[in-house]
Amino acid sequence: MNRPFSFMIDLPVRNDWANVDLLRTSILNCFTATFHDMDGCHSLAMVAGELLENAIKYGDWKDGERALRLRVWGDAAWAKVQVDSPVQPDSPSLGALNDAITWLDAYPSAEDAYRARLLAVAARPLAEGGGKLGIARIAYEGNCKLKAEVKGDLLSVTSHMTF
Amino acid sequence: MITENLRAGDLAIEVVQAAPAGSLRLLWTGRSGDRNPHLILGPYFEQVLASAAAQRASLELRFEKLDHFNSSTVATIIQLIQDARQRDIKLAIVYDARLRWQKLSFDALRVFVAADGLLELRSVEEAP
Repeated sequence: MNRPFSFMIDLPVRNDWANVDLLRTSILNCFTATFHDMDGCHSLAMVAGELLENAIKYGDWKDGERALRLRVWGDAAWAKVQVDSPVQPDSPSLGALNDAITWLDAYPSAEDAYRARLLAVAARPLAEGGGKLGIARIAYEGNCKLKAEVKGDLLSVTSHMTF
Repeated sequence: MITENLRAGDLAIEVVQAAPAGSLRLLWTGRSGDRNPHLILGPYFEQVLASAAAQRASLELRFEKLDHFNSSTVATIIQLIQDARQRDIKLAIVYDARLRWQKLSFDALRVFVAADGLLELRSVEEAP
């Protein structure tokens, strides 16, 4: 009996920057073993990496016991990458994230949005950070739709990619 | 004055005095995923730009062997593009357009190409 093609990765992740690359390369390796499309595997891994970086940078890590959660699931036609992280519901970074997603959705294409974001990054001091360049990159290079949801003190950012 | 190579975590940048004379070639390999890459790459690029200015050399950044960079590294490269332009240093960025992530990343940087001809982006298939 043939089972429908599907995949799922679901794991807690310690809040440690080194884990971003460990997981990004693990996802790349896992999906390289599953799919022929190396470019698609690279996109999935990049999306996971950028989401994890944001979660570590902007999460509320006062409670050292808390962890991130990474989920990657899908089938032959689509994939979702989701990262959960603790957040303060009134955090300015949460507002900035929602603004960035709304800003992205207002552009006719993710490519236009990404190019506009590159120009915006060029206009600000580097020490102020990339100004949500990673979010724009996920939409453009990853060909993803992004969604952010807060439940209590948990932020879930989900990217949805179609193949 | 030759700039030294850089090794920072999984990233390596090798400096080659390229032919034709008057060009400094920076070969990027590995992965650039530091949380604050500008803290490492910023001072290094300063040294590279100073060296290029002293030699009246152009710069060629070669990314075709690079496996990955994060968006923070992209922001640092944008700063380098601006700093090179400010000093009238010609900068060529070479990538591998057969890799989709590189094609998408570097094609987008064409927003910084200007009529002054100081920035050029080309795929490795077109590179000399």
